[in-house]
Amino acid sequence: MASRALAVWHSRRVVGLLVRRDLKVKYQGSLLGYAWSMLEPLAMAGVYFFVFGLVFDTNRGVPGGGDAPGGYLLFLISGLLPWLWFAQSLNQAPNAIISHSKLITTMRMPREIFPVQAAAAKFADYLFTWPVLLAFVFALGGRTSAQGILVWLPLAITVQLVFSLGMTLLLATVNVLVRDVERMVRILNRVLFYASAIIIPSGLVLESDRFPTWFTTLFQFNPLLGLFKMHHAVWYPADAPGALVLSTSIGGAILVLVVGYATFRRLEASVLKEL
Amino acid sequence: MTEPVIEAEGLGIRFSANRRRRRGLRELLLGAGRGPGAEGAFWPVRDVSFRIRRGECVGIVGKNGTGKSTLLKLIAGVLIPDEGRVAVRGRVAPLLELRAGFNGRLTGRENIYLVGSLHGMSRQDIDERFDEIVDFADLRESYIDMPVRHYSSGMKVRLGFALVAQLEHPVLLVDEVLAVGDQEFREKCYGTVERMLADGRTMVLVSHSEADLRRFCTRGLYLRDGGLALDTGIDTALRAYEQDRAAEEQERGEPSEPGGTAAGGADRRARRLGGPESADAPAAERGGDRGRREPGDGGRAA
Repeated sequence: MASRALAVWHSRRVVGLLVRRDLKVKYQGSLLGYAWSMLEPLAMAGVYFFVFGLVFDTNRGVPGGGDAPGGYLLFLISGLLPWLWFAQSLNQAPNAIISHSKLITTMRMPREIFPVQAAAAKFADYLFTWPVLLAFVFALGGRTSAQGILVWLPLAITVQLVFSLGMTLLLATVNVLVRDVERMVRILNRVLFYASAIIIPSGLVLESDRFPTWFTTLFQFNPLLGLFKMHHAVWYPADAPGALVLSTSIGGAILVLVVGYATFRRLEASVLKEL
Repeated sequence: MTEPVIEAEGLGIRFSANRRRRRGLRELLLGAGRGPGAEGAFWPVRDVSFRIRRGECVGIVGKNGTGKSTLLKLIAGVLIPDEGRVAVRGRVAPLLELRAGFNGRLTGRENIYLVGSLHGMSRQDIDERFDEIVDFADLRESYIDMPVRHYSSGMKVRLGFALVAQLEHPVLLVDEVLAVGDQEFREKCYGTVERMLADGRTMVLVSHSEADLRRFCTRGLYLRDGGLALDTGIDTALRAYEQDRAAEEQERGEPSEPGGTAAGGADRRARRLGGPESADAPAAERGGDRGRREPGDGGRAA
């Protein structure tokens, strides 16, 4: 296993090239390429702000109170941008191997690089959203803390990288053999969006007495909940995850990576035959 | 020096007959109880052993569907064997498909860097050889910065060959890609391959072109029904292949040959169809398998 990791490390230049190729192909041909890719999160943020921020005039449960720096709009943006990273990884994951079948069946290289490349490309896309996030932070007067920048931000990014890599390995492999994966992914995407407190601050569920205990416990076992709480906590210290949520998040990400890589290795020979 | 560059021992790989069709989740879960290889498993390559020394050029000969390309892919490492093992010493350039890796939306220049790197060339290597590659491919100056999707298929193949001609890998695995382009370009390709062989590189060639095989190879592996039937000089291997083919022609020419029972006929025809069944499967099973695929024909044979 160590030798395989080493082989991927030796191929890092190839991974970099494939990532750059994807970005080039994506942003090429339209001057507005970058603007287009930012339009989706901005439109989503606009819609949710319109519905929940303006139409329903209720307690939106922004962590740290309604007048926390940045307000509900920054809460939306700071959740939606990393969510988009996650959602696009999830959407593309089933195709990470199939879409390179030509290369995989004709060139000798560690097959791991294709899921790694897919995950890395989505991470690069996420990094490109930072200028927009920062623009909103400055415009809305958002504030961060030392803990937010030094603990929550790197931890959130690491956990999400681990999670999305494991998820890509798992789904890309299984999708070669079983064709239901793409459909499942679409449903999962929708459910996880509302289950992971992207636009609804988790406090509205966790601190409410409308939900039975088993439900709130289950809610906290979603590893993505902690992940997005961390992303929010960079700007809203009050949203920092507690011990249970944090450990399910970190443990869940590691578990997904282990299961994903084990599946990949176990099914590799069959996958090569099917491509 | 005498250490083999490519060494295969008892090499075998199993495919299930209904591959190329992804299963539904329901099928997978319900079918989980079935043992492996229950339905229509076959071995395109089985029990193949050989050693290839440095500097040899080996041709793989055989009918369509007898596992030639599969064997090449096993050597290349893009398929993982179910039985036995294959070891290759030194870097391998699997030239299984010349256009592999080209992205239609990138320019010729970008593609040269991308595919060259995929083959393991360093940026520096590519910089140094860039002009030579473009020259060899016979691309007009203006084309190199155009997206490859605007290229003709001939241009793509030429660019692909020009690129692999620059590889310095000691082991080359070639699957029918020698004869590309027009007559003139083909001569250039042949020249390149001869130069590579003169360099002492090792090559395994799969081809249906007898002329190519005789031109480059000294040794021939004759594959029949997924097994290694002969490992000998290329001329002998081609002759054996030729003889088998002639014998089968004759059989096909006289279907009402006396003496053959119905079962024997089915057995023989299964063999002739180049069926994927392994050579040691019982005749009845082979006939049955074939009958399922072609019910009309099977009915007549019975």
